[in-house]
Amino acid sequence: MRLGAELTDGDIVRAVLAGERERYAQLVERYRDRYARYAARMLGSADAAEDAVQDAFVRAFDQLAQCKEPDNFLGWFFLILRNRCFAERRRSRATAPLEAADSVAAADRTDGGAETAERRRALQLALLELTPDQREVFVLKHVEGLSYGQIAERLSTSVASLKMRMHRAYDRLRQELREHA
Amino acid sequence: MSDHDFHPLVMQLLDGDLTIADLPAELRAQGEEALRLLAAVDRRPVEVPGVVQRVMRALESRPAPRRPRWKRALEPREIRLRIRPWLLAPALAIAAALIVWIWPARLTAPPPLVTVRFVLVAPDAKAVSLAGTFNQWDARATPLVRAGANGVWTVSLTLPAGQHQYAFVVDGQRWVPDPGAPAVDDGFGRRNSVLTL
Repeated sequence: MRLGAELTDGDIVRAVLAGERERYAQLVERYRDRYARYAARMLGSADAAEDAVQDAFVRAFDQLAQCKEPDNFLGWFFLILRNRCFAERRRSRATAPLEAADSVAAADRTDGGAETAERRRALQLALLELTPDQREVFVLKHVEGLSYGQIAERLSTSVASLKMRMHRAYDRLRQELREHA
Repeated sequence: MSDHDFHPLVMQLLDGDLTIADLPAELRAQGEEALRLLAAVDRRPVEVPGVVQRVMRALESRPAPRRPRWKRALEPREIRLRIRPWLLAPALAIAAALIVWIWPARLTAPPPLVTVRFVLVAPDAKAVSLAGTFNQWDARATPLVRAGANGVWTVSLTLPAGQHQYAFVVDGQRWVPDPGAPAVDDGFGRRNSVLTL
C-alpha cells in the first residue's frame, strides 16, 4: 500500500473494507466539493446538495463491500449520488418545490453584478424545468465540462441518445428563458 | 420546428463544434442568444467543508462494511507468523524425525562410482549409441566411437554402483543387447542387457 497522500481510491476502499474506517474521511474530503456542485445544479439548492452528498457518502460506506472495482470508486459513487439526486427531485416535486437557485443568488450578492446574478438565477430556474435526464446531461457537459464520450461512459449510454437529450434541453431552456425574460 | 427551437447549426455552436463565425449571417442573432445562455452557466465550486465531519460522525454508529464471508475467503491476504523459540525446538525435532523417517535414503552416503567400458563389434554400422536406465533410455545421449578399422565401437561411462539395464542402438534404429552381458525381457518383446556394479 502507498503512503499518505499517494493512496489511490482503490487503496482507501480496500483499507476501509479491512477495518480502517477512519480512512474513509480521505475519500469524502477528496470528492465532497466536486460532487456538491453537481448536486447543487441538479437540485437547485446548495443546502439540498450538501444533504445529498452527505447522504450519498454514508450510503456508499454501507454498500462499500458491493463496490466491485475499488479503483473506480469515483464512477460507482457518482451513480449513488445521482440516484439520490433523482429521488430528491421526485420527492420535492411531490411535496414542495425547492427554493430554487438559492445558493446562486446568495453567492452573487457578494461576487458578481446584479445582471450576472439575474442571468444565472434565471438559467438555474430554467434548468429545474427540464426533465432530470435532460438537466443531468446539461450539467455534466456545461458545468462539469465532460465530453459527450465521457458522459456516455459514465451513464452507460450512447453519445447519440445524449445529444438528442441535450438538444431537447437547449430548446426547452430557450423557451423557459424567453417566457421569464 | 417550433419558435423556440434552435437551428441545428446553433445546436452545434452550443455543443462547441462550431464558432459564431461559422454561422451564416441570418443565424448570428440566434447564435448570440445561445452564447448568452452558456455564459449564464454557473461553474463556480460549491464548498461543503462540514460534510467530512458529519459523514464520519454518522459512520460511528454503523456496522463496518464487510465482504461476504465466501468472498473474503477467496481474497489474497497477508499472513504474519510470530515465532516463539521455546516452541520452535520441539517443532524442529519433529520435523527432523519426519525427514529421517520419510527420506532415509537421502540421508545415507551416496553409492560409489565405477567407470565401465562398453564395447560392441559392428563392422557394418554407421553409428552406435548406448541407451539405458542411466540416461533415461535416450538413444542419442551416449554415442559410441569407432575404434580403428575393425568395426569395434566403444564408450566409457562412470556410473553409480548398482544394477543398470541398457542396450546398444545401431544406426539410430536397431536395438541390440550386449552379447557379452546377461539380458532380461523388457516386457515389450525386447531384451535389455543387465550390468551389475
